[in-house]
Amino acid sequence: MRILIIEDEKSLREDVVDYLSENGYKCDFATTIKSAIQKLNDVVYSCALVDVGLPDGSGIEIVEHIKKNNPEMGVIIVTAKNSLEDKLQGLKIGADDYLTKPFHLSELSARVYSVLRRRNFGGKNKLVFEGIEIDTTEKKVIANNIQLQLTKKEYEILVYLASNPTHLITKEALAEAIWGDKAEMATSFDFVYSQIKNLKKKLNEVDVKNYIKVVYGMGYKFKE
Amino acid sequence: MKLLTKTNIYTTITTVLLFAMGIFVVYQVILQKLDKEVDKQLLSAKTKIVKGLNSGILPNEFLSNLGQKVYIKKIDKQTIFDNKFIEYIEHQTSASKSDEDILQRELLFQTVVDGKTYEITVCSSLTEGKKTGEYIIVVVLVFLLVSVIILFLLNRLISAFIWSPFYDTLSKIKTWNIKKNEILDFKTTDIDEFHLLNDTVKDLTRQIQADYHNLKEFTENVSHEAQTPLSIISTKIELLMQESNYSEKQHKLLVQTYNATQRLYKLNEGLILLTRIENKQFVETSSIDLVQAIEEKIEVLEDFIEAKQIIVEKTFNTQVTKDINPVLLTILLNNLFINAIKYNLEKNGTIKITLNEDSISVENTSISDKIDKQFLFDRFNKNSISGSLGLGLSLIKKIVDFYNWHVTYSHKDGTHKFKIYM
Repeated sequence: MRILIIEDEKSLREDVVDYLSENGYKCDFATTIKSAIQKLNDVVYSCALVDVGLPDGSGIEIVEHIKKNNPEMGVIIVTAKNSLEDKLQGLKIGADDYLTKPFHLSELSARVYSVLRRRNFGGKNKLVFEGIEIDTTEKKVIANNIQLQLTKKEYEILVYLASNPTHLITKEALAEAIWGDKAEMATSFDFVYSQIKNLKKKLNEVDVKNYIKVVYGMGYKFKE
Repeated sequence: MKLLTKTNIYTTITTVLLFAMGIFVVYQVILQKLDKEVDKQLLSAKTKIVKGLNSGILPNEFLSNLGQKVYIKKIDKQTIFDNKFIEYIEHQTSASKSDEDILQRELLFQTVVDGKTYEITVCSSLTEGKKTGEYIIVVVLVFLLVSVIILFLLNRLISAFIWSPFYDTLSKIKTWNIKKNEILDFKTTDIDEFHLLNDTVKDLTRQIQADYHNLKEFTENVSHEAQTPLSIISTKIELLMQESNYSEKQHKLLVQTYNATQRLYKLNEGLILLTRIENKQFVETSSIDLVQAIEEKIEVLEDFIEAKQIIVEKTFNTQVTKDINPVLLTILLNNLFINAIKYNLEKNGTIKITLNEDSISVENTSISDKIDKQFLFDRFNKNSISGSLGLGLSLIKKIVDFYNWHVTYSHKDGTHKFKIYM
């Protein structure tokens, strides 16, 4: 699974490359439209992460290029501006998803996973770990050969955690992913914690105990 | 009180007082003059009587020519006294006319003619003269009254004319809005003071406007420029958190730093949002069914409503469709509902949502007391029980202002009520 990251800001680019690499993706990067198109012509990527504001123009150009030459490829656009026009334009010309800067790296990873799954790359619509299997097409979770009865929120949390399997996910990032603009309220209600508690209880009931670790004060980890 | 009314009152009071004093003085002078005139007549009558007595003419014969009453009495005294003036009121009864009090002035004197002593009284009525005096006073009074009224009206007219540039300036300052980039333009005036006032106000407003724009720009820049470093800090901390093997102290420091950064980040986001609304970046509108919008927002908040076991009562009196920016409507409704949930009772509270043709109101039971209205919609005026950023109400106000709507707050029996008139 090869991903091209087109981002001119060094610090952010490095973080993204490191984080996604740790999640098992092969990452290349480009800092300008020109070098990005060069790379796109040379290598076949599964997904591209495109920053809209680049030094030599708008990232929208790259999206157009990809959609013309390699429509199979997943595209996620990233912009610093929280503007509706950019979002609409990006989605209209065929971007799969849209992220606003700043974003949690875990959110990016989850979005990348979701885009790849939708684009059906390598038939990867199942997250499989020891003793637990998440079918993201059917939205089913099978643990120890037993199908779990999860609520929508529990399922979403599990998928989010599982798409960042080795990383610590802060409760803020998790709240934002599940509750969106109500995240602040969800954290103040300790909703994340209670959902996690229920989820762990359901996993325990079927004797799956190695997953979802609570890191005190920080957040959660899917596995060690 | 208006300036013109005040000056008018003062000038009128002074004029009336001055005139009253003048009339009093004139009246006194007239009375004195009258007395002197009558005394002169009485004395000339005395001369005539004495002359008549000396020449042997019977007093009664010339009495009719004199127009004054004369009483002559022979007395036996040798010593005589000189002129005595006496004033008295005589009550006169007559069959034809009503009773009358007549003011009389008389001259009493004694004289010796041919060795005989006479006591003579000459009597003259003052009433006629006094009446004339009163007529004069009345005429003067009427004249003065008319002149006071004319003066009053004239004064008003002239003042209104003279002060008109001032009132023009005043009304223009009153409607001046710092947010609209308008330059004040005043009526030209040839009065130096007003000219100076206008120039000063112009300079001041220009200065204030410049300062306001600088400040606004500065705040916007700070918020925008802070966004990138903030997100870098936030991401780096998240990456730091990925590492394990922290000591307890390091772990604690990391968590605290992360929480503070998240808070700062949220705050900045809120401020940017406020600025964007202020800068009219949410102008595009679409026609939105408010009933549907409210239902949707409440549904999204279902988790939180359930967690507190809040009973939501929705009353839609009519179907309302508004042309509004969807983002702004979402922010508005979210903030209204989130506040109503957040500050509600821990258990079994209620939220009443009422939608009318021109208003929407949200009522909720609450643990908190009445909020001080004065600072209600100010930024960062947060309720002590909340851990929130204190921007929610300020956002509501900003959106309401943006659409020229109107929001009211009331508190009754532990229930907070926000009502928006659209």
